[in-house]
Amino acid sequence: MLSSARSSASMALRAKPSTALTPFRASAAWISTTPPRPATEQQTSKPPGLVAGNPSPPPPMKSVTGKERREVPLPSQEGKQGAMQYALTTLDQIANWARQGSLWPMTFGLACCAIEMMHLSTPRYDQDRLGIIFRASPRQSDVMIVAGTLTNKMAPALRQVYDQMPDPRWVVSMGSCANGGGYYHYSYSVTRGCDRIVPVDIYVPGCPPTSEALMYGIFQLQKKMRHTKITRMWYRK
Amino acid sequence: MSTLPRTLRNLRRIGLKEYAHQMMYIGDTKAGTLIGTDRFGNKYYENIEEELPLRTRWVDYVNKEFDASQIEPGWHLWMSYAVDKPPTQDKILRTQLREWEPKEHRPLLTLSRSAYKPYSTTRNKYFPWQPVAKPRE
Repeated sequence: MLSSARSSASMALRAKPSTALTPFRASAAWISTTPPRPATEQQTSKPPGLVAGNPSPPPPMKSVTGKERREVPLPSQEGKQGAMQYALTTLDQIANWARQGSLWPMTFGLACCAIEMMHLSTPRYDQDRLGIIFRASPRQSDVMIVAGTLTNKMAPALRQVYDQMPDPRWVVSMGSCANGGGYYHYSYSVTRGCDRIVPVDIYVPGCPPTSEALMYGIFQLQKKMRHTKITRMWYRK
Repeated sequence: MSTLPRTLRNLRRIGLKEYAHQMMYIGDTKAGTLIGTDRFGNKYYENIEEELPLRTRWVDYVNKEFDASQIEPGWHLWMSYAVDKPPTQDKILRTQLREWEPKEHRPLLTLSRSAYKPYSTTRNKYFPWQPVAKPRE
């Protein structure tokens, strides 16, 4: 499947599809496990491209392992079977609801991203309505918003603050400097991404990201928390 | 502003069922005119006279797992007060008019199983190590 798809895609990209290579491809097709298909069938079965006159995108590939594609339900779509699963799922939902309703971020404002983070708490974006209150102490907070450039000098302090936070804890990396060094990637004194120091849940891109972007990142974090299987994973173990 | 008279007034207008639905989705009680529905089935409402500024347009998502990226581009423009007319009245805001456009609007796929997963085929530039502390003498 892979080899035939690749050959058909390369044929489609060619301006004049030459047939000189086809016997060689056909003789090499015994390497792949799937039986080779004639090229004419693939040409006709292709969907129309996004731009008129251009070749269509290649057909969907199999997975890297070569297995058949398997439809797996999302964690939110999994049903509840049995009393135990029902109870645990409900417990999880209650715990996740409580967690995402009162996110208390530890502000790790390091640079200009912190200005946008402050805007999030001001009346226009009003994070208080989501239950988000900035805490100055890491021992009272759930989320750390790393906003700004993380330098090598600040990195041990960041790690220490992260270690002082109680479980469960999440990290939001805000801005390109915290994501991967950003503008200061080649500086001698900058840690190239705060994910080298702490495990990051949500990356918010931008330089700096707008307050809407940060709020959208917080919504994504809440979605991640909603899908966390706390007691279900504990029960499985 | 969520005052008790306003909540009761809107509750009288929209009914108990819609009230429960709105409390699950928006967390507020709102009454307005239905402006339109996009292809996902999200419903868009507007009430310019009574609501506060920046709260006059709102969306009722069709999905329970809602996300702002499920709003179509034209409707998103209308929702964020960039235009006056919704895509139902303004033809230029509609999707699928231009040839270069994607055929369908795809919401953000992060945190789903179709999320983009990068992988590298080259050697890592840095490796984790196990720090060893020398015992004190």
